[in-house]
Amino acid sequence: MSNGWGHPDNQAMNAPKPALPPVLQLEDVGRQRAGRPAVRDLSLRLEAGQVLGLLGVNGAGKSTTLAMIAGALRPDKGAIRLQGQDFLEHPELARLALGWLPEGAPLWPELTVREHLDAHGQLRGLRGADLNRLRDAVLERLELKDLARRLAGVLSQGQRQRLGLACALLHRPALLVLDEPANALDPIQVVALRGLLRELAAGGTAVILSTHQLAEVTAVCDRVAILHEGTLRYDAPLHADEHAALEKTFFDIAMAGRTQAA
Amino acid sequence: MTLFAVTRLELRRLFVRPLGWIIGALALAELGWRFALLLQIFLLNQVRLAALPDGPGYTDLVAVRVLSSFITGSPLPFGLIELALLLVPLLTMSTLASERSAGTLPLLFASGLSAARILLGKYLAVLIWLALWLALALAIPMSLAHGATLDWGKLVAATLGTFLALAVLGAIGVACSAFASHPAVAAVAALMVGLALTCINLGAQLAGVSNGFINWLAMNTHEETLLRGLVSSADIVWFLLAIAVALLLGIQRLAADRERG
Repeated sequence: MSNGWGHPDNQAMNAPKPALPPVLQLEDVGRQRAGRPAVRDLSLRLEAGQVLGLLGVNGAGKSTTLAMIAGALRPDKGAIRLQGQDFLEHPELARLALGWLPEGAPLWPELTVREHLDAHGQLRGLRGADLNRLRDAVLERLELKDLARRLAGVLSQGQRQRLGLACALLHRPALLVLDEPANALDPIQVVALRGLLRELAAGGTAVILSTHQLAEVTAVCDRVAILHEGTLRYDAPLHADEHAALEKTFFDIAMAGRTQAA
Repeated sequence: MTLFAVTRLELRRLFVRPLGWIIGALALAELGWRFALLLQIFLLNQVRLAALPDGPGYTDLVAVRVLSSFITGSPLPFGLIELALLLVPLLTMSTLASERSAGTLPLLFASGLSAARILLGKYLAVLIWLALWLALALAIPMSLAHGATLDWGKLVAATLGTFLALAVLGAIGVACSAFASHPAVAAVAALMVGLALTCINLGAQLAGVSNGFINWLAMNTHEETLLRGLVSSADIVWFLLAIAVALLLGIQRLAADRERG
């Protein structure tokens, strides 16, 4: 195993891309859900090659934030810029610039692994030889080649997660949005995922990932943001040796919120 | 074009699900039975009909009547359109409702597709499936084309009418699927709307009223004209309007999904 899902002959997938900073910019983004504010005045900026970990307790607004960034949900207020362009005005920017793995990796159970990748590629305007090349590369990279003919409906949760990740990576987006990407992965696959994310970041891909696992964030992220009750409470660079400090910050924010609520 | 990517995806989903094949096979078996009965009646009356000046022939009494029971007036099994009232909702129920319940609808939005493209792409897939179904149903009476004299003009008009009726039912089914959070709810809703559209003028007809808004609103009024071989632009416009209204409502609902979450 090199680094799990990475293969030397696939390194071309990570060819450096021209820097177009910032890849993502959120300005005062807000969104109500079920009559209460799920995200409030959120402003974020993500440069090419950065890996941002989005932390928060359940209901903090992480998934809502990621759904808005992915274009699956429209904010009630604020602006989202993707590679400098207004994403809300031009949602079609998502087609090539953005890859999204939603929580639970939803799939079409009637389609095989290969058909999933083909469908995702075609939805993003890929055709013919380009699509075949990218599909084969991502199948190999995520070690899904042996499962290519298997129906998604019979995959294990870990395999589903890998397929969801493959679909998000297929078109080599500039921004990768991952909601709980390590869910249901075994420890070896978690290490492989970390290696993959580091490689992608080194190749210039901006990554934003939401997780409950502080260890996941300290292992791969170079920046961390903490959401609490829909509000950004913390946003700072992160170094590998700061796990304990991050843990303290996270619990301070989460517990302070609970004390106020009580 | 990404619209066709949605169509391809939906066609794939339609063709790998057993329900589509079961619906198609059962419907064709039933239509084959109807065809055999119609043919038997035609053969029994053939000599008498031949003596009539401009009497109805194989096209009127068998080929067109395989497509619809509207003008049969006898207790025979359903024609294609009546079967479609029951079966198209089952075919279309999963187009969007199952995407919503499986959580895959946001994936389509996140591919940069507008609500209109998603819905039209899926509707196109349903139309292709229905056209294939119609072609197979037409093959039943056409199998005797070499030994019978067909009135091609009348058959083309009836085929056009049947296709338009299927297209209306397909649009209603896809729109109901866009509104529903569960496929079964979408199927029931589409069945009720389809039945209402077919039976809305029943009271007026029983009272002997054959014109007015209520009759214009009913699909039968426009379908029957085409089945009798008369192609009127007013009837075609009605079908296109019905399709447009259903699809626009579906698109609005789908767009609201992205807005409301």
